[in-house]
Amino acid sequence: MARVHHKNGRGGGGGGGGGKGKGKGKWKMPASVARKQQAAMANVDQVTGDKIPKSFVFSRGKLPTTLRHLQQDLRKVMLPYTALNLKEKKRNNLKDFVNVSGPLGVTHFFILTNPKSSPHLRMAKTPQGPTYTFQIKEYALAADIANSQKRPRCPPEIFKNSPLTVLSGFGGLGEPFKSLVEYFRHMTPAIDPVTVKLSTCQRILLIHFDREKEMINFRHYSIKLQPVGVTRKIRKLMQNNQVPDLRDLNDVSDYVTKAGYGSESEVDDEAATVSLASDVDKLNRASRKSAIRLQEIGPRMKLHLVKVEAGLCSGDVLYPQPVGKEGLGKKGKEVEEETEGQEDEDLMESDDDPEDESEE
Amino acid sequence: MASATAPQPVSSPSAAAGAASNNPHKRKKPAARGKGKGKGRLAKTPRRSDDPGDLPRRRSKPSDRFLKLLRKRARDYNSDDSDEEERLPDEDEDEDEDEEEGASGSGDDEAAGAVTRFEQGCRAFRVAFTKIMAKKLPDDPLGPILSAHKKLVAAKLAEDAEEHKPKGEGRREKRMAAEKGHVIPTNHLDSKEKELIKIATQGVVRLFNSVSKAQNCRKGLNPSRSKDAKVLAKETKQAFLTELSKTSNQSQKGKASSNFSKNNSKDEDEPGWAPLRETYMLGSKLKDWDKMQTSDVVNEQTEIPLDDSSDEE
Repeated sequence: MARVHHKNGRGGGGGGGGGKGKGKGKWKMPASVARKQQAAMANVDQVTGDKIPKSFVFSRGKLPTTLRHLQQDLRKVMLPYTALNLKEKKRNNLKDFVNVSGPLGVTHFFILTNPKSSPHLRMAKTPQGPTYTFQIKEYALAADIANSQKRPRCPPEIFKNSPLTVLSGFGGLGEPFKSLVEYFRHMTPAIDPVTVKLSTCQRILLIHFDREKEMINFRHYSIKLQPVGVTRKIRKLMQNNQVPDLRDLNDVSDYVTKAGYGSESEVDDEAATVSLASDVDKLNRASRKSAIRLQEIGPRMKLHLVKVEAGLCSGDVLYPQPVGKEGLGKKGKEVEEETEGQEDEDLMESDDDPEDESEE
Repeated sequence: MASATAPQPVSSPSAAAGAASNNPHKRKKPAARGKGKGKGRLAKTPRRSDDPGDLPRRRSKPSDRFLKLLRKRARDYNSDDSDEEERLPDEDEDEDEDEEEGASGSGDDEAAGAVTRFEQGCRAFRVAFTKIMAKKLPDDPLGPILSAHKKLVAAKLAEDAEEHKPKGEGRREKRMAAEKGHVIPTNHLDSKEKELIKIATQGVVRLFNSVSKAQNCRKGLNPSRSKDAKVLAKETKQAFLTELSKTSNQSQKGKASSNFSKNNSKDEDEPGWAPLRETYMLGSKLKDWDKMQTSDVVNEQTEIPLDDSSDEE
């Protein structure tokens, strides 16, 4: 107790009278307790009461420039519940991050490494683990994706809400992937269909498992809603808030009736249209049909699961199942391939299980 | 030039010293030089005994710094020594010293001597000079230089180039290593990407549909119509009261499920708004320590259907 008092005294006037409040008229919450409570409040969703997963994206060891950019892109993906400007120093070790993560309510770590100049991504849960180590076979930065597009769309508002996570291709898989699915599912805040506002769903994280190549495709898209059955001109008029150019027209009605170019985007497939539950914006009103358009914003990654550990970057190796005592220390190629072979068989058996997408 | 003196190479120091001891000029030299350059002395002295023939041939004295530069260059180029090359700088130095001695010894008549020498050597000089100038020079980046020199410089440059090449290669390798795995996407979407977008779109569609299903039951009633408004008001009031009553009597069932309430649809008995729940902000660790097993069982049961709807999150 004495120590607490001492701390308060050092902390400054605010909590000076705190602790037990001996003989003081008004009870004041000690600053440290208030701070703790506030921190606890910040970690919990006020509507659903779920714990909000938060993440750190950082790197171990020296990274080349492109991987640094990838790190920053990953941080943007994990926004808003991540530290966008997290600075790590050379002398910081993993323990430092773990120690900090507790009070801040950080639950997920994404660690980029570049051992022997082949990029790896470790996804871990703090403080206990497990840790999933992926090899990044291929990756493309958000800037590359934007460069490849004619009209890149990446408004800063879409990063104010966390992404939806869509997992596909993981159905009916064996152990390492089952827990991996759980991990991915709790990586972003869960969505409660009853209370969610549709206007907050603005981007989507697709994690797709390619069974043939044993690869996990990581994609990040922005969601755009377009009202169905509204011509492009009207849509633009509503979106731009500008007086349209009417110089060439004889009558105002021409603006509406004159068909512009039949835009290819008008060819809607029924699968991508939804009727909205609530107003999203001016154009997409409730109980009206809207088409969903996705545009990639990057980054793009192709991941290969290399290792699963029980602890946080330590502990028993779960995934390339260690054969003997000697297989435990080094994850030899043969061991890995053997397990992969087993999984293939598993897949063959479980292929008759309905897949996620085919259920529709 | 002093080619006659050349055959004595930079011989062993002992021989040089022996020769030097005979040399009458030897004592003079340090005085002439002021700051005696200890290094080249031994090498040069043996030749001085033969030198007298060269003595009359004089020219204006090159500056000290220039000499230094020459010596340095010579040292650089002759680092791996072939005899011929070794000789060149030595001759230079040799001449210099001669001149220095002359300068120190006979100070005044030097200018006159220089004039006579010029007159004497005038013709030969002119011939040589015109010959050199008439020479058609190859268009060479190295410029007009002595052939031995040329060879050396060429070798030197080649060596440099070779040194540079691995450096460049190393850099390229390093860059390649840094860029490993970095694939810049093509401009058009290929079929695989389209497939992925399709999958993602399906996921979004399913989410939006489920949201509208969950939220539309209330949306069907229009609050602006008085009839619906009444129903709504009643519903909300009823809901409020039931929630109040439930928070008191509902005890364990809700708690057990609140662990994974994010996964399955909310337990019906539980209040919808989180702060009304008993487990709110408790982390449910301390509360449910004795209920852990039942919750695990329920969790496993819910797991199986959840996998199918995994892409709705």
